[in-house]
Amino acid sequence: MADPTAFYEPEEDELLSSLAVPVQSYNPDSEADEYRRLQELEQHAYAQQQMMVAEQEQEQLAALEQVPEDVKRFLVLFHQAILENDLPTITNMYESGWNKLSQAHYAQNEWPEAELISPLVQNDQVFLTLYRELYFRHVYAKLQPTIDDRFQSYENICELFNYLLNSEGPVPLDLPIQWLWDMLDEFVYQFSSFASWRANPKNKNEEELEALAEAQHIWSCYSVLNVLYSLVQKSQINEQLKAEKEGKSPEEVAEIAGEYGSKPLYRNLGYFSLICLLRVHVLLGDPTLALQTMEHVDLSGGAFLTRITACHVTTYYHVGCAYMSLGRWPDAIKTFISVLIFFIRMKQYHTRSYQYGSIAKQCERMYALLAICTTLSPGPSDESIMSIVKEHYADQLAILQRGGDEALETFKDLYLSASPKYLNVNPPPYEDPSALESYLANPPIDATQRFLELFLSDVVAVRGVSNVRNLLKLYTSIDAAKLVAFSEGEQEEEVLQQLMVLKAASRTYAKGQGEATLLDGERIVTNNLDFTIDGSMVHVEETTSHRRFAGFFIRNAEHAQRVYNTIRSSPLPIQRKPASAGQTAAGQQQEKNESKKVGGAWKPQRARVAAQ
Amino acid sequence: MTVAVPTKNLADWHSPSTRPEVIHELIHGVDRYNPTNLPFMEEYLLSEIKEGQYDLFANLAILKLYQFNPQHSNPDIIIHILIKNLSATVHGPDYNLSLGLLREPSAILHDIESDDESLITIVPFLTNLHELIRTCQFTNFWKELNGDSEAANIIKSRFLPSHAHPIDDLRFQFSLSIASCFSSITLTQLGRWLDLSSSSEISSWCEKVGWTVQGDKAVVPKNGDNDVKAGVVKENVQLNQLTKLVAAAAY
Repeated sequence: MADPTAFYEPEEDELLSSLAVPVQSYNPDSEADEYRRLQELEQHAYAQQQMMVAEQEQEQLAALEQVPEDVKRFLVLFHQAILENDLPTITNMYESGWNKLSQAHYAQNEWPEAELISPLVQNDQVFLTLYRELYFRHVYAKLQPTIDDRFQSYENICELFNYLLNSEGPVPLDLPIQWLWDMLDEFVYQFSSFASWRANPKNKNEEELEALAEAQHIWSCYSVLNVLYSLVQKSQINEQLKAEKEGKSPEEVAEIAGEYGSKPLYRNLGYFSLICLLRVHVLLGDPTLALQTMEHVDLSGGAFLTRITACHVTTYYHVGCAYMSLGRWPDAIKTFISVLIFFIRMKQYHTRSYQYGSIAKQCERMYALLAICTTLSPGPSDESIMSIVKEHYADQLAILQRGGDEALETFKDLYLSASPKYLNVNPPPYEDPSALESYLANPPIDATQRFLELFLSDVVAVRGVSNVRNLLKLYTSIDAAKLVAFSEGEQEEEVLQQLMVLKAASRTYAKGQGEATLLDGERIVTNNLDFTIDGSMVHVEETTSHRRFAGFFIRNAEHAQRVYNTIRSSPLPIQRKPASAGQTAAGQQQEKNESKKVGGAWKPQRARVAAQ
Repeated sequence: MTVAVPTKNLADWHSPSTRPEVIHELIHGVDRYNPTNLPFMEEYLLSEIKEGQYDLFANLAILKLYQFNPQHSNPDIIIHILIKNLSATVHGPDYNLSLGLLREPSAILHDIESDDESLITIVPFLTNLHELIRTCQFTNFWKELNGDSEAANIIKSRFLPSHAHPIDDLRFQFSLSIASCFSSITLTQLGRWLDLSSSSEISSWCEKVGWTVQGDKAVVPKNGDNDVKAGVVKENVQLNQLTKLVAAAAY
């Protein structure tokens, strides 16, 4: 870190000379060119104007000289790698080089403007667009984006998608999946960031108000959905996934995918667009459409989306949130738990990723949502994850389980801290000053607040349930009239109604094992305690479950097997002095032979003893 | 009408068998964002209402179009959709899903510059009914609906008549809740919850949903929810959990 210029020191000189425009010789050359050109131009009638352009170019060149050498070198090599579709190099430069240079030179300010560096890359517009994409992402992540940044990043990303979608035929570009995911992820992030910024007309200066009034289409929901759906359609991703699920051969799938979809670039963009659509639909408050979008996407352990941790976590988070809006608590719980287990296992490998912070935050939110879901639908769930929930939210859980108004307040706090930041589809009427004024005087309820209220209505509807359940636990049968005595001021009818609510709260629909889509569900019983009412007699039945041992033994047996394999394949420690010759040495020899056969057959101990 | 048994899965909820292929295509494609489809979608809703069918996802697609094109919002259609939600399920998320796509009634009316303010009184009224339904306060629900409030009157005079059998739909949904709890229930209680006053009405309703009247009680046939047995859940180990162990042992 001490010498930032060390990062992109080319390893071999010939690498540099092979570049189209070698960096070292660039400046003197082009300055000479420039000079010659200027002389010619002076003869022109509008020499004056050209002079100014040239002056600007001169200025830019001067500014370019300010750009640190290692950054220039990086950009030239980066451009080269992209031109050659050299995925490993692009991946390396994208994932590590860019971030290292950002840290070294641009921790407090922007990367150089794209126009500035364009001579380095022969004014390659595609590269410059990709560069700007990274440039703006850096601004959003590290600095405070201005309204111009927001507008320009939108225009830039549209240009990029326009290039991908509307060129003649598929473009000859290939980018690492991590970048493609980050690009779309950032697209949705910038959209939601802009939408929530735009939703509040307060604290905006004249200029910003004017710009917002004029540019209705910028970051509008329609345009964002349009991009995502276009990518989905162009890549035929749904048809591809369907065909794969039906077990068609790769050739058949490629045929279905067509000219575009068979290219990894388009296929991956299409695939990630589905996940971004899931996200946008959740943010706009349409959970059913969100889950419907994921109809053909496989969510199981080995699915494509699990190859990128950020994508995996985001997908599961939003699927879980959608299930919560549908009141399918067990499905939400299952979804959160499965990704949290994955995250804990993967943690050690991912601390270096620049998204690690945001991934960890999203996981933290899921623990909070788990506290909510498991309170609303108690039942056995993964103990290791639940112990973390209990650790983080011990106080809140205690309050939630107690019930009452305090619990409602806690539900509210947890939900607000952990739910997605919902968005309004329609921006305030910036184009109409008088309407804007009345909008300001009487602002509508903000989207998150609206969804909070819907969620709380779900909670309120079942608030009496846990008391009734606890009461029923004490009996095997009880007359409803007797139950009335326990609940102050309620009539028998009200108690029976409470019981019906309890019954409904212990039933839900949950996704079965082999089912096709996320929306499907089978009716299941979620609680051990159940009852029947015969007239006014309540018969209580409790289902007990045996302790589960198999999982424990399977896990530990597998673990033991792994440990054994590791030990067996690791080299023996070098013994300085052979203790005594003969039998020990022979035994050692025997062991060495064993250890050489890595992955070889395991021999029962008996056999080895016999060999000795 | 069929026997009152809770539905076993959600297939009919997300893709009802009554849905025509063309609607299915529409709401699964990008054409669902095309506002020129609105008249067609609204027409489908009206036919649902007339035939007594229910297609939540198609209705949500209408609300989605309103969300994106506020100037096309039709308050009457919105109210019809909400009424449909209420009469389709007791504990399902349907009503709140619709509300999630709607803004405040006053904002909706503002965008279409409508003078008819009934939406402003009706939505809170329906939301209250929804709360009563989902907390199983059926007696209070009928009291509100049969009451003399402005909203109740508008709903009964302007909206319910276009629906095929809204009251019976509600009764049927309530019967589902009752059937999942009770193996038998007194007729008086049943009458209160289903808003049926005479004993002949009650017994003909019981017949409709497959219950038998014995004395002063209606007996509900066993349906898996009202005949619970204490059980013991034993652990089941699937073979695929053991694959690694078996593989290791095979060497």
